[in-house]
Amino acid sequence: MKLIKTSWLLFMSLMVSFTSCIKDEAPNAEADITACKTSSDILLRSPIITNERVTFYVKDWVDVTSQAPEFSLTEGATISPASGTARDFSTPQTYTVTSQDGKWKKTYTVEYLFNELLTEYHFENVKYYSYKDEESGQEKQFYQIFYNKRVDGNDMEWGSGNAGFMITNSSAPATDYPTCQAADGYKGKCVKLTTRSTGPFGVAFRAPIAAGNLFIGIFEVNMTNMAKSTHFGAPFTYEPKGLVGYYKYKAGDKYTDASNKEVAGKKDDFDIYAVFYEVTKDVQYLDGTNSLTSDRIVSIARLTDKKETNVWTRFVIPFVLKDGKSIDPVKLKNGQYNIAIVMSSSIDGAVFNGAVGSTLYVDEMRLFYESDK
Amino acid sequence: MKKIAITIFCFFLCAGFLYAQDDRTAALVSSEKNGWEYELKAGMNIGGASPLPLPVEIRSIDNYNPLLNGTLEGTVTHWWGNSKKWGTSVGLKLETKGMKTGATVKNYSMEIIDGGSRVAGYWTGFVHTKNHSGMLTVPVLANFRIAPRWTVKAGAYASYLIDKEFSGYVSDGYLREGTPIGQKLEFTDGKTATYNFDNNLRSFQWGFMAGASWKAFRHFSLNADLSWGMNDIFKKDFKTITFDLYPIYLNLGFGYQF
Repeated sequence: MKLIKTSWLLFMSLMVSFTSCIKDEAPNAEADITACKTSSDILLRSPIITNERVTFYVKDWVDVTSQAPEFSLTEGATISPASGTARDFSTPQTYTVTSQDGKWKKTYTVEYLFNELLTEYHFENVKYYSYKDEESGQEKQFYQIFYNKRVDGNDMEWGSGNAGFMITNSSAPATDYPTCQAADGYKGKCVKLTTRSTGPFGVAFRAPIAAGNLFIGIFEVNMTNMAKSTHFGAPFTYEPKGLVGYYKYKAGDKYTDASNKEVAGKKDDFDIYAVFYEVTKDVQYLDGTNSLTSDRIVSIARLTDKKETNVWTRFVIPFVLKDGKSIDPVKLKNGQYNIAIVMSSSIDGAVFNGAVGSTLYVDEMRLFYESDK
Repeated sequence: MKKIAITIFCFFLCAGFLYAQDDRTAALVSSEKNGWEYELKAGMNIGGASPLPLPVEIRSIDNYNPLLNGTLEGTVTHWWGNSKKWGTSVGLKLETKGMKTGATVKNYSMEIIDGGSRVAGYWTGFVHTKNHSGMLTVPVLANFRIAPRWTVKAGAYASYLIDKEFSGYVSDGYLREGTPIGQKLEFTDGKTATYNFDNNLRSFQWGFMAGASWKAFRHFSLNADLSWGMNDIFKKDFKTITFDLYPIYLNLGFGYQF
């Protein structure tokens, strides 16, 4: 018994000595902009920071030719040009963040945007999300990003869930992503939104399908609650009146729920809507969980007269004020309202209900508004 | 696991009967005279597969569970010369080696696997690991009797893995997809992702052993052996875990000598 006791003590002391030889923490390998600052009286919104882009929405009178934003970084990381350097933001500027260990560099695009939102959408322009493959050194293209050229020369990018789809389906060609461009639009090219299967990984995360979607806003993956990945909205200083455009739609065959179980007899449907909402300190944007239900919403335009069709069909959707809501002209001028236009190939795609194969085409869309208020 | 536990229990039962009877055959007596000894041993492995030294990615080891790893072994020893001080032994051991650990890591190369889809990247947060393998082991040892009841031994062993498990889950942290500057995927609020590297374990292990045994009674001995693996438990082409893991186990048990 003594032998066992002694050996056990010896062994435990060995284990303890293992844990006591934890090495000193390595320098950080990450290179994030974690927060940023610019004189707050020029901002319409809190700055929006994603993995590779920082957006400042600024008021109309702001001189963007000389702005000196300041950045907070991952501990120990450095930024070039230095934080606080005055630069000309007439066009987006790039910054390189280098990790504390010096091994990783990430390039951020930093842009200052005025609140003027484009209101005519032809869906002729796409660019590719791409990054350099570490091993081959080749630039790999993943999915398409729709964008519009703004008057000031900057791009206005549409948001989509493609970034989420990429996590599990990175090898898919761009045209197999839920959101992509297609030929044979009403005029020129158009948007093609397809509800796709996300494979076994998606099933495990209770997100078995990815509805094709396109929206004004950004997409930032939230694994805890996928529906919160979509951040809808951008500033709009006019009162929206109506949304007009063309669509074609075909519903997929088998309607499934979030557990990937077939729901017999249920037919998929698409969704096109726009919401106009007030931005407050607490509610900077709407997401997939509250884009139609938030009490911040002032007016909604949602397509109700829908059908399956393979010919281009015109839609006209008026904005309807919600009960008891009104638009405050002062807040409107100050850019305290956001607009979000959202299109989806499955109406309940945000909660992962829909039919794989449902396809929605949209083209030549236009947002009408009252500009003389 | 259960099977092995039952086998060990049966072994003790049999050993007990044998001990009570103590009627050995003439053949056994004569072969002992010629220096041959036969022993059946049972015991437990306590230890784990550990990187040496601990890599910088591991920030703390938060929990450790040695599991119940049974071993069952038959050994033949030949004692040399008249003094019978030196002996050589060869065994055949059926054993499991395993552990469960929970560790906090930073920037740890990881590949989350779920139903065939994989997401590789760098994990910062909590990693729970279960490594549990069943194997057939052949130890070859040199024995030296330092006192009538005490024997020390040292040698080498080779193992063939019959079943392999190296799996677990990650939680309370985030994965940077692809590289440390890739898209940040957070797993918080109880969200976990599993991983499984069973098929990346190598089937053949070898290493060194050293130990001692104490003869408590005429037929009964108590044994303690430390086995120290010399090759990484993973296959050469497996790159996700960036450091080598070596199995280091202490075996404690009883032996019955015929």
